[in-house]
Amino acid sequence: MPIWLELLVLLLTTYVAGVGIGWMIWGRVPGDDRAKAERENDG
Amino acid sequence: MIELVQANWWLFIIALLIGIAVAWLIFAATRRTRVDRAARSDVLDEGAERAKRNQALIDSPASQPENILTNPLDPATVVAAGGQESAMVEPELAADPEPAAETSAAPAGAAPSSARDDLKRIKGIGPKLEKMLNALGVTSFAQIAEWDEADIDRIDPQLGNFQGRIRRDSWVEQAKFLASGDMTAFQAKFGNV
Repeated sequence: MPIWLELLVLLLTTYVAGVGIGWMIWGRVPGDDRAKAERENDG
Repeated sequence: MIELVQANWWLFIIALLIGIAVAWLIFAATRRTRVDRAARSDVLDEGAERAKRNQALIDSPASQPENILTNPLDPATVVAAGGQESAMVEPELAADPEPAAETSAAPAGAAPSSARDDLKRIKGIGPKLEKMLNALGVTSFAQIAEWDEADIDRIDPQLGNFQGRIRRDSWVEQAKFLASGDMTAFQAKFGNV
C-alpha cells in the first residue's frame, strides 16, 4: 500500500471518529419523548 | 504506521476537528426545534397531593357537577388551588355536608358513571391523554364542548407532549357531537368511532 493511501485511510478514519464523537454529543436523543408519549397514548 | 501518525499528527487533529464540526452541523446546527424538558410542566409530575385532590374531584357526586366540574379551569379556582393544596376540595365539601358524607362513604374510584364519559372516543385522545385530562378535572364531553379559545389556551400547555392536539384534532367539535349524542353527524365528519 502506498504511503499516501495509508495516510488517506488513517485521516478518513480519524474524520469518521470525529463525526462519531459529535454524534455522541449532539446527535443522540435518548428515547424520543414525544414519540414515546404518542405510543403510550395510542396504546 | 505509528511513524506516519507521528510525522503528520497535526493532519489527524485537523481531520478529527473537521469530523466534529461536520457532526455539529448535521446534528446541532440544523435542528429547528429544541425541546426544553425542564421548562415544560407536566401535570403528572405535580406530586401526590394534587393527584389526591383531583381524584376527589373525579369521585365527587354527580348531583353537583355544576359546583365542581363545570368549569375546573376557572382562574379563580386555579388560583385558590395554587395557594393551598387542599383548598379546592374542602371548601366545596364543607359548604354542603350531605354530599361530603356521600363522598366519604363511597369507595375510592367509584365515580358516578353519569359524570364520566369515555374521553377516548374523541379521536386523538388515548389512555394517557384521558388520564391527564381526568387529572385536570375534565371527565365529560360536555366540559370539553364548552371550552372556548381562552380555555384551550389555558389547558393546552398542561398537556405536556400533547400540546396542540386540542385544536389539531378538533376536540371541542368532536365533544359537541358526542355530548349531544349525534353520532351520525360525528361519524360523517370524523369517521367511525
